[in-house]
Amino acid sequence: MNKNFILYALILTFGIAAPFIFPAFKVQLSILCVLIILAITWNIQGGEMGYNSFGNILFYGLGMYLCASVQVGMFFPLAEWTESGGEKTFVHTPSQFFQGMAAGLVVAAIIPTIVAGLIGYAILGLRGHYFAICTLGLGVAAGEISGGIEIIGAGQGFTTPPFPNVGGLEARGEFFYLLSFVALVLTFIVVRGVYSTRFRLILNAIRDNEDKAEAMGIQTMKYKIIGWMISAFFCGLAGGIMGGLVGYIDSTDVAFDGREMGVFMVLMAILGGKGTLWGPVIGATVFHIFKEGFWTFFLGWQYVALGVLIVVIVIYFPEGIMGWLREKYPERFGEVVDEADRKAQVELK
Amino acid sequence: MKINKIILSFISAIAILLSTSVVSFAKVVGDKIVLGAAISLTGKYSSNGVHTQNGYNLAVERINSMGGVKVGGKTYKFEIIYYDDESNPKRAAQLAERLISQDGVEFMLGPYSSGLTKAIAPVTEKYGVPMVEANGASRSLFTKGYKYLFAVLAPANLYLDVAIETAVELNGGKPVRIAQAFEQDAFSQDVRLGILDAAKRTGSEIIIDDKLPKELNDMAATLVKVKQMKPDVLVVSGHTKGALTAIRQIAEMKVDVPMLAMTHCDAAKLSKQHGKNSQYALCASQWHKSLTYKDKFFGTGMKYAKDFEKQFKYDPPYQSAESSAALLVFKDAFERANSFDKKKVRDALAATNMQTFYGNIKFAEGGQNVDKPMVLFQVICDGSGKCENKVVAPLKWASAKLVHPIPKWSER
Repeated sequence: MNKNFILYALILTFGIAAPFIFPAFKVQLSILCVLIILAITWNIQGGEMGYNSFGNILFYGLGMYLCASVQVGMFFPLAEWTESGGEKTFVHTPSQFFQGMAAGLVVAAIIPTIVAGLIGYAILGLRGHYFAICTLGLGVAAGEISGGIEIIGAGQGFTTPPFPNVGGLEARGEFFYLLSFVALVLTFIVVRGVYSTRFRLILNAIRDNEDKAEAMGIQTMKYKIIGWMISAFFCGLAGGIMGGLVGYIDSTDVAFDGREMGVFMVLMAILGGKGTLWGPVIGATVFHIFKEGFWTFFLGWQYVALGVLIVVIVIYFPEGIMGWLREKYPERFGEVVDEADRKAQVELK
Repeated sequence: MKINKIILSFISAIAILLSTSVVSFAKVVGDKIVLGAAISLTGKYSSNGVHTQNGYNLAVERINSMGGVKVGGKTYKFEIIYYDDESNPKRAAQLAERLISQDGVEFMLGPYSSGLTKAIAPVTEKYGVPMVEANGASRSLFTKGYKYLFAVLAPANLYLDVAIETAVELNGGKPVRIAQAFEQDAFSQDVRLGILDAAKRTGSEIIIDDKLPKELNDMAATLVKVKQMKPDVLVVSGHTKGALTAIRQIAEMKVDVPMLAMTHCDAAKLSKQHGKNSQYALCASQWHKSLTYKDKFFGTGMKYAKDFEKQFKYDPPYQSAESSAALLVFKDAFERANSFDKKKVRDALAATNMQTFYGNIKFAEGGQNVDKPMVLFQVICDGSGKCENKVVAPLKWASAKLVHPIPKWSER
């Protein structure tokens, strides 16, 4: 417990200090936080519950559009803002900007949660590949539909309110970093809290054998939906932050970016080790560092390098980094290893 | 809990990694002026991204070999740091941050496409980094009050409205019926706005108004409607892929329409790739090699086209020409500012008034180039099947007469 406390305190200090120690990397660090949130939330479905969802990007994109729309719509007519790709420009005062952002983030978290509840009720009865394909369709459909809605900019895209002129040049980066870091901490605390209850065991039971779980009297549907709603809440929040950070929302390339973000969240969780609390965190961090590296050193070949990385992950670390560590050092994960038994096995070979 | 150790060592590893990788180039190193650019080398805009990059590179080589840039009595050479933005606005915004805050770039060249420019402009504006861009034409870029954005090209809504006006004129001043299909992206939607304005002005009616998906490779549904409703003009815009798809399917489906107006015909190398099938297509262009502008670096448009072809083995589309022009603008501004101060260079850019092989360049308040009209050319083939783009409007440069209406497929 004591050691845990030190660890968390250290990470927290590192997290808060990071933008000041590495001022040039603020944007990358903010994106890292968002990626970790996405990986952690995907892991609730993909890792703990055994439901491979490609649809979480729906909540992320929804959150992005909602946050920006609320932020603009609270003070100015939204239709005029987005008309002709934002030809008219209204300027937010600092207090308007921050109030709008706060309200926007609340909406960006809550609406996707409700949507997840409704959609979940309809499609969480599907299992295996059927669920995966169905959710894949959700993200694609959302991208195409949002690209046709005039009030949010349609194909022209949606320029989010520019950061007001407060503080220095670095204020924007610091603001968005702290925002995403706080969102990350919140996500981690909630998910960790949830995992320490019976809820996680139920999710695992669903993953291992849903029919048996049901036979034992667990209302699997209820828990599946709640699980998805938790994911949606934080995905929406992450999307809202990301929208403000990027500054320009495009329906298929930025918001409902299933081809990149939607796939990345799955990859990151698998790389780190799905079905663990820390796996997605580590996976996302390693992935982001590799990605940034590839994008710098293998210009033009970055996707090939990334492809090779994915193949290597699947072949050598099918259980992810955490899974691999656990196999190698089981005692460090609190598993009791009977040395005599282990030796006996080795000798038998 | 031994796992803590693993995580701790992991975090320290990251910390070390991050701290060692802070390498900062200054904007001017030794005798080099370092410019930054995020270019679409992969993804849906990759072919136009390469046109842009080729244009930049050709101009850098040319300026460097002809004496470079003289500032404060010293000669400097241009150098460009490129990153691949994957045709993705999110990535582009991130790379702009990176170029400025990590690589220390203080002067930027634009990316390809309006969408990506829209994503980058807020970043350069925030840091007060002057950006001369050559491929972001969406007019909303110029109404945002950006102070550090300068575009050497004319805004997107001016691309094809001339075509509508021409059609009305050829129709004896009577309104025409327009069918249009535009990709769902910032640039094409802006071209659409231009058409809507032109239609309103001339009292023309829009009978088909379709939106096409990005990564466009099928527009048969629109063409079926066109066949049924027989509009006077068909307008299509969707970057290179849009132009290729339109020509391919119009030929396959034998769609007869009196006027076909498009964008990106030269970037798509239509006359080469589709030969006779692309004949009579009317295309909006920022530049054509036969225009009579000139400068001392590239000479005339014809000479530019020859030099370009020698190096890259294809005829330069206007995307390359305007990109080359961006470098000429930068050189001129540096020399007039006689300084590398961002603010001074910005002011010098704002006062630009010059002629390049690509056209006259003079920036309006919003940063768009107001001194250069658009041209329209038509793909015309000779008897042997060799097709060429010939300027048909404005009349000052016209080297061929507009063929109108387009002959029916059955009569070709």
